[in-house]
Amino acid sequence: MKKLLRNELLRIFLSSSISKIGIIFLAIMIIASAYVVMFMPLDFGLRYWNNPTFWADYPKLVPPEWVNIFLGNKLLRHTILITEKPTLSLEDTKQYILTYSHDTDQLPQTIVFKLNNITFTYTPIIELSVRRPDGRVINLLVIQPLTSGVSERVDLSGRLEVAVALSRFLKDEFNVSISATEVIQRKLEFKILMGTPVISNGYVDFKTLRGNYMFNVFLKSDDPTARIGSVEVVIFGWCYGLMGTDHLGRDLSQALLYGFPVALLIGVVTSVITAVVGALAGVVSGYYGGIVDEVIQRLCDVLNNIPLLPLLIFFMFVIRMNEELRRTVSPLAVIIIVLVVFSWAGIAIIVRSMVLSIKSQQFIEASVAVGASSIRIMFKHILPQVAPFIFAQMMFLTPSAILSEAALSLLGLSDPSIPTWGQILESAFANQAMYLGLWWWIVPPGLLIMYSAITFVFIAQGLEPIVEPRLRKV
Amino acid sequence: MSLLDVKNLKIYYFTLKGVVRAVDDVSFNVREGEVLGIAGESGSGKSTLGYGLMRLVPPPGRIVGGNIVVSGRDIVSMDEGTLRREIRWKVISMIFQGALNALNPVYTIGKQLVEPIIFHEDVSLKEAYERAAEMVKLVGLNEDVLRRYPHELSGGMKQRVMIAMALILRPKIVIADEPTTALDVVIQAQIMNLFKKIKKELNQSIIFITHDLSLIAEIADNVAVMYAGKIVEYGNSDNVFNTPKHPYTQGLLKSIPRLKSKEKLSWIPGTPPDLRNPPVGCRFHPRCPYVMDVCRREEPPIKDVGGNHLVACWLY
Amino acid sequence: MVDKILIVEDLRKYYPIRRSLSEILMFKRGRYVRAVDGVSFYVNDGEVYCIVGESGCGKTTTGRLVTKLIEPTGGVIRYKPSSALARINNEFVVGGYVDYRRLPKKYVKLLRREVQIIFQDPYGSLDPRQTIYSILEEPLVIHGIGNDRKEREELIFKVLEDVKLSPPEEFINRYPHMLSGGQRQRVNIARALILGPKLVVADEPVSMLDVSVRAEILQLMMDLKISRGLTYVFITHDLAVANYICDRVAVMYLGKIVEEADMLKLVNEPLHPYTKALISAVPEPNPSNRFKIREVPIVGEVPSAAAVPPGCRFHPRCPYVMDVCRREEPPIKDVGGNHLVACWLY
Repeated sequence: MKKLLRNELLRIFLSSSISKIGIIFLAIMIIASAYVVMFMPLDFGLRYWNNPTFWADYPKLVPPEWVNIFLGNKLLRHTILITEKPTLSLEDTKQYILTYSHDTDQLPQTIVFKLNNITFTYTPIIELSVRRPDGRVINLLVIQPLTSGVSERVDLSGRLEVAVALSRFLKDEFNVSISATEVIQRKLEFKILMGTPVISNGYVDFKTLRGNYMFNVFLKSDDPTARIGSVEVVIFGWCYGLMGTDHLGRDLSQALLYGFPVALLIGVVTSVITAVVGALAGVVSGYYGGIVDEVIQRLCDVLNNIPLLPLLIFFMFVIRMNEELRRTVSPLAVIIIVLVVFSWAGIAIIVRSMVLSIKSQQFIEASVAVGASSIRIMFKHILPQVAPFIFAQMMFLTPSAILSEAALSLLGLSDPSIPTWGQILESAFANQAMYLGLWWWIVPPGLLIMYSAITFVFIAQGLEPIVEPRLRKV
Repeated sequence: MSLLDVKNLKIYYFTLKGVVRAVDDVSFNVREGEVLGIAGESGSGKSTLGYGLMRLVPPPGRIVGGNIVVSGRDIVSMDEGTLRREIRWKVISMIFQGALNALNPVYTIGKQLVEPIIFHEDVSLKEAYERAAEMVKLVGLNEDVLRRYPHELSGGMKQRVMIAMALILRPKIVIADEPTTALDVVIQAQIMNLFKKIKKELNQSIIFITHDLSLIAEIADNVAVMYAGKIVEYGNSDNVFNTPKHPYTQGLLKSIPRLKSKEKLSWIPGTPPDLRNPPVGCRFHPRCPYVMDVCRREEPPIKDVGGNHLVACWLY
Repeated sequence: MVDKILIVEDLRKYYPIRRSLSEILMFKRGRYVRAVDGVSFYVNDGEVYCIVGESGCGKTTTGRLVTKLIEPTGGVIRYKPSSALARINNEFVVGGYVDYRRLPKKYVKLLRREVQIIFQDPYGSLDPRQTIYSILEEPLVIHGIGNDRKEREELIFKVLEDVKLSPPEEFINRYPHMLSGGQRQRVNIARALILGPKLVVADEPVSMLDVSVRAEILQLMMDLKISRGLTYVFITHDLAVANYICDRVAVMYLGKIVEEADMLKLVNEPLHPYTKALISAVPEPNPSNRFKIREVPIVGEVPSAAAVPPGCRFHPRCPYVMDVCRREEPPIKDVGGNHLVACWLY
């Protein structure tokens, strides 16, 4: 029978399309959160997001890849080539060849060679060269690693030896002279590397050469133990991933995804604690009355009239300024605590008035007459009556907690170790994303904040007819 | 010529759980100066019937069939505007159940009494107040209540104000829906005396709806007894009270405790039916002591057993 | 000589009225609603004692006081226990009677097993979220009666049979809203009886029921009285209902008992002007009444219990008012044959 009653309420809840949408939205949030919890490291913020070296091989400030669908001129994709085994292994030379096919006119932002974990007994010589689609070979650079076990990272742009090699190549092959410094100044590295010079009206222009490029790494040494752990060539493109990147090259899609469980955590933890505290205070206040009631209600009045946001800013500021506190107290916890402290009063006041009317119902008196204790009456008879209301309030509180956190993040007062949507927005604003038109940095986090808020508002709306039977459709 | 003619009136509530046939094929009439008592227990449809006569059935209820002819005009098919301007309160008005809360606490009694006059008639405020004062005196109150606020009045006085308000436009018919339920017995007697006075002095037609047959005996000329959305017995008060024909009416009369006798009380066993799903045949048959086979199969028609005494029962 | 099961002496219950700020600032004395203002009566074992009066006369408050749901402002309530409570040899049991004021908190539960109440509202007095089973199980759980579910179930089935909700299996899993008013009131009675009380206060148990089921509930109560040896304090506003079940009756007006007598005597020879008015106001299902105005000898309405008139509290409405009535409160007097009346006329 109890089940029937519950089904009845569920039917009422699901009869409105708004609650159906809310449930679907919530399911998406939960699935995303579950994915994060299962597949992403929990210390993602500290370990990756706030660690710039992790993002060194990502293109900076580029839009998502899918914009190519809408753009006529295709943006160059970010490409990483990698090999661990030498392609050719001679007695004194190991050759690593990585082939890259270039099929647009657009040139990469830069090209980076990464030679990871070079080990040897005697110092080897490492030569880097490129074989272009036209068969010409450019010897870019020779390096000699000093100690075994290091990794070398060679960024081709802005490097003098490379510029000299390119300048010589241009002179030798095409009889065009551009000095190495000019190459660097005018950022011509990749025009030369991946193009043929075209001279018109005395100006030198370059035509991009399409086709297969072979990036060669030669490890020259008599030492049979010398090896390179892995060779990578990163061709920095002009678009990246599902959501693009920010000024540090950070993949926004990862932080946006990570934001789901964080938002859910802030929202749900805050609202659950608030609802529990508010309900208990309201029930106790309403049931006992007298001096207990007076104290709780006046406390509620005071809390209700203190503006929340300035206070939160103040607390955050205190934590930031104090070295000791900054290490021991998580700002996120402070946000949750302050939100709880200042929102339970609202629930307590309403629950109290509900309890006052429930208390005067005869079945409460009947319970007293058979000898029930106050605790029993509060938990067995009163609380179940206010439970649906508290649940709906919880749903209303959830988005407000999420929004409060976002607002604080936007003011730069959030927990930097845990990336949230608000923080993404904040760094976007701090880096002039608005003026630079970096929409992929601003719109998605904004939409997600709205999405999470709307989800819970919809559910709360759907719950209203259950809480307030007069709104039910009969 | 009757003032009010109700024919085959059907009022159903369309709920998600099914159709509630609150008033199902009800016919009666009220002549000038006559008081009709409608008796029935909770869930019999008597209050719905009262609201239906004003065309004020709350949703999801609807009048689904029949006619309500007031002074020759059918209000079931009338448009809402005409009804509001020309019929409601002017020709047929109502004293609501729970009338003690029906007064607006922020306006004086006078203002609330004058409002319908100003709305319906082209008279000066002064004249309207004079009429309100006259009406207040008629219901046995002092003129100065016009300046008072509802909370300053006692329950009995408020009830008198409600009666004055229902009478203020001198309607042809007043519907009184449980007008004394919230009142104590002494005040109830006083209010019943007031109804008798109104009936006599103004020759007022009244439809008096109550669960209390004793109160109907105090005032009504004719009685309609409702059970499960239907009128089961209808006739002159003397006939219905002194020679009740329907087993339900008989049972009801026998179950009323009386002060001056200690005759053993009897009762009607069982509970009233769920109107979403009323019993087949006579709706009273599961509780009837004289139930026959035909009662379980067919609904009894309403029949005249002599002297305009109508009964819907297979016994006759 | 029949034992008195309950003795009430000079019982008073005042509710303070919240003073306004200006009243506090002007050091005005706090005012009180004198809901019950000096009521004395006794109830014999096995009888039905009625308290009749209009709304606000204090009859319900008296019922609450007798069941110890609220604490009195003054006066004495003594109850003669018959079971566990009687066996406790302690200072609060004096001469076989428990004095409510002296009863320690931990023994209140024992009192609850003996003194129970049936509430007026069959709709409001059952928790809408509990099944009939759990409503009836609650008293057993609280008092630790029955060792396991099976034992408690037997008790519940038994009491449901007693109140004629049978077969019990059909009812235990239902919710209150699935029952008719009469059935709910039976559950109410069952809850009051499941602890095996001796004294039951019935607070308007039939006033909210349809007429056709009232008689049935009254008959049930009378049957239970005999089968379970109960004593009732029956509170009602309806003299006609009282007439059917009461042995003795007290009429209350504005917090005081104005007349007390055997039921038959009170109906046939009422003495107090207020009782006379009450009796004359009861409508009867006689259609010839419609041609005559009912003579109700009193005027006006009951004044507020916050502003009780001086002298006899009935004097502003009394048709026989004398000078003395305005000055002095009449004492309650026995005019013979256990007929008590508080009126200067006698």
